[in-house]
Amino acid sequence: MPAENGLDPIIHAPVRLRVVVTLATLRDGDDLSFTRLQELLGLTPGNLITHLRKLEDAGYVTTVKSGSGVNARTSVSLSRPGRQALDNYMSVLRQLLDSASANGTSPHQPGPANPDRISPGQPPGPPVRRSDDEAVF
Amino acid sequence: MLEDQDMSVQEAAAIVQDARARARKELVISAPLVYTAWGLVWLLGYGAMWLSVRAQNPYTGPSGVSIAAVFVLAAFAVAAVLVIAHRAAAGIDGQSVRHRRIILATWAIGYLILLLVQAAISSSVSTRTLAFAGFAGPLLLAGLTYILASALGRNRPASALGAWLVIVGASCAWLAPAAILATCALAGGGAFLLIAVIETRLRAHAR
Repeated sequence: MPAENGLDPIIHAPVRLRVVVTLATLRDGDDLSFTRLQELLGLTPGNLITHLRKLEDAGYVTTVKSGSGVNARTSVSLSRPGRQALDNYMSVLRQLLDSASANGTSPHQPGPANPDRISPGQPPGPPVRRSDDEAVF
Repeated sequence: MLEDQDMSVQEAAAIVQDARARARKELVISAPLVYTAWGLVWLLGYGAMWLSVRAQNPYTGPSGVSIAAVFVLAAFAVAAVLVIAHRAAAGIDGQSVRHRRIILATWAIGYLILLLVQAAISSSVSTRTLAFAGFAGPLLLAGLTYILASALGRNRPASALGAWLVIVGASCAWLAPAAILATCALAGGGAFLLIAVIETRLRAHAR
């Protein structure tokens, strides 16, 4: 259910936003090991599990456990609804940044944008997917 | 960061940019580095072979030193590409892993067939035909492999590079041995380096 600013509250949280953007970099049909995701985001296992559970409950990510013992692997991937939800989130985010730029105001408290990184008139595009620039040997 | 935090849209946009840049750096194979590695093999290696044969009359073949240079450069390129790919692919499983295996198997089988064909025809064909098979054959194979890879991964720059390499490799059928080496070095190696520059700009633009 969208929040009052239209941003999906499941995604609109710092850690979960990082998780879905990171997973969106993967190509369709790929998954990432829990350990590598944890390492990339610099989170504790418990913290990551908590946020993954929320995303999984919403149907945005899929986690699969395979193997056992030392070969045990938990893989995480962004589901199709999750990718769609992120695309929608990015569209709303872009609109909010554009309207903020047009009005010369911050659309939502708190915190100013870092002008070195984000220009309200040039919001970030959708996450570039791995399939768009997969290198070849 | 266990609990949800309130964040502004600007902060959200900054997180998206940061997470995307980090994920791309860590999880995506650096195409410009891969193209540059192979471009240097073709440009420097084949360039060295061409320099060793350009004054030959009649043509007797590249010097042993220049052939060794090609193998040394290729070994460095293979090692660099494997390290780059291994780092980026760590922890990733699924379709792209299967595609990579198909591409590697195609290239390896193709190269083996090329070596066998060269061995089979070496005593019964002209020097020019042998030079075409030996020098332009790997370029044709690389071009076809890139076309296959682009079909599997929907990669437009790789598709353009593959098509160009096939055209360059095929055009070598009309050239003398020394010209084949020069063409492969300049048009082949140059294309790899050009694509590396284009990829770098595309990535900078996407940030």
